[in-house]
Amino acid sequence: MLPDDNSTIETTVRAVLRDVLGLSEARAAALRDDTLLFGAMPELDSMAVAGVLTELEERLGILIEDDEVDGEMLETFGALVRFAAAKAPR
Amino acid sequence: MIDHYDWRGGREAMLRFGPDTSPVVVIAMPLFEEASRTRAFVVTLCRALAARGVASALPDLPGQGESVLPTEHARLDDWRAAFAAAAANVGKRVHGVTLRSGAAIDGEAGLASRWRLSPLPGAAALAELQRAASAGGTAIPVKPGAESPPLLLAGNRIAMPLFNALTSDGALAVPDGPLRTVRLVSDPQPADRKVDAAPLWRRAEPGNDPALAALLADDIAAWIAQCGG
Repeated sequence: MLPDDNSTIETTVRAVLRDVLGLSEARAAALRDDTLLFGAMPELDSMAVAGVLTELEERLGILIEDDEVDGEMLETFGALVRFAAAKAPR
Repeated sequence: MIDHYDWRGGREAMLRFGPDTSPVVVIAMPLFEEASRTRAFVVTLCRALAARGVASALPDLPGQGESVLPTEHARLDDWRAAFAAAAANVGKRVHGVTLRSGAAIDGEAGLASRWRLSPLPGAAALAELQRAASAGGTAIPVKPGAESPPLLLAGNRIAMPLFNALTSDGALAVPDGPLRTVRLVSDPQPADRKVDAAPLWRRAEPGNDPALAALLADDIAAWIAQCGG
């Protein structure tokens, strides 16, 4: 099944961050649109970024090129969800 | 207990768990970073198998884990030969269990059956390493030549022969004999069974999941019995 709407994509991004970063359910559930990620969340180092991207590709059936990866798309939870939503097949 | 095995290139350590009797499985860990992330889990899995009467052997690959061989001397064909030697050392009838890219090195071993968790070929394992290096800002030569010095990819020194062999390893070999593939529910690729769990091999800090180990140990024990023990 392909994710077909933004709430499914948000749920998937939340689950990927929880699984890759080892966040508690409470911390994962507390992620808001403006929650700061890269640079603010200590678990999200460069190795973890690689894991998050690969896991998003796998679960959403998308392809992320390395040159698309920048600080902006990883700045907040909302920015990462919007990036993934723009990539997801419609 | 800590055992060892000999292969054409030397001697490596091998952890042994469970009874001296059959059935027995030989386990291939994931390559590179994922091996550290899953080591505690694999040991938990070995103990869970022992509790179900299944013995297991966990060989170190040359140039990985505790091996004294420098990482940059590791070669894909040596890994396959070493894993085959480890399997032969364990017994006459041995079942293979591989995690992730461990499936890329089980091809030469004489195994009664193969059980694979979320398998991927060498090229995909290398691609993930390159992405980690890229995310970490580690420079990679655009077109490394055959004579280039070993690349440093996310903390792993990889010589060109290994780099090239992994690059060419684009698809998992379909082995002769019984094969069972288990994947996570979140993984869209086909599998004989999907289990609902988090991918420990992507966890930034190594974790463990005893419930998943118990569930997989049940699956492996049933699979081995189905294959005639």
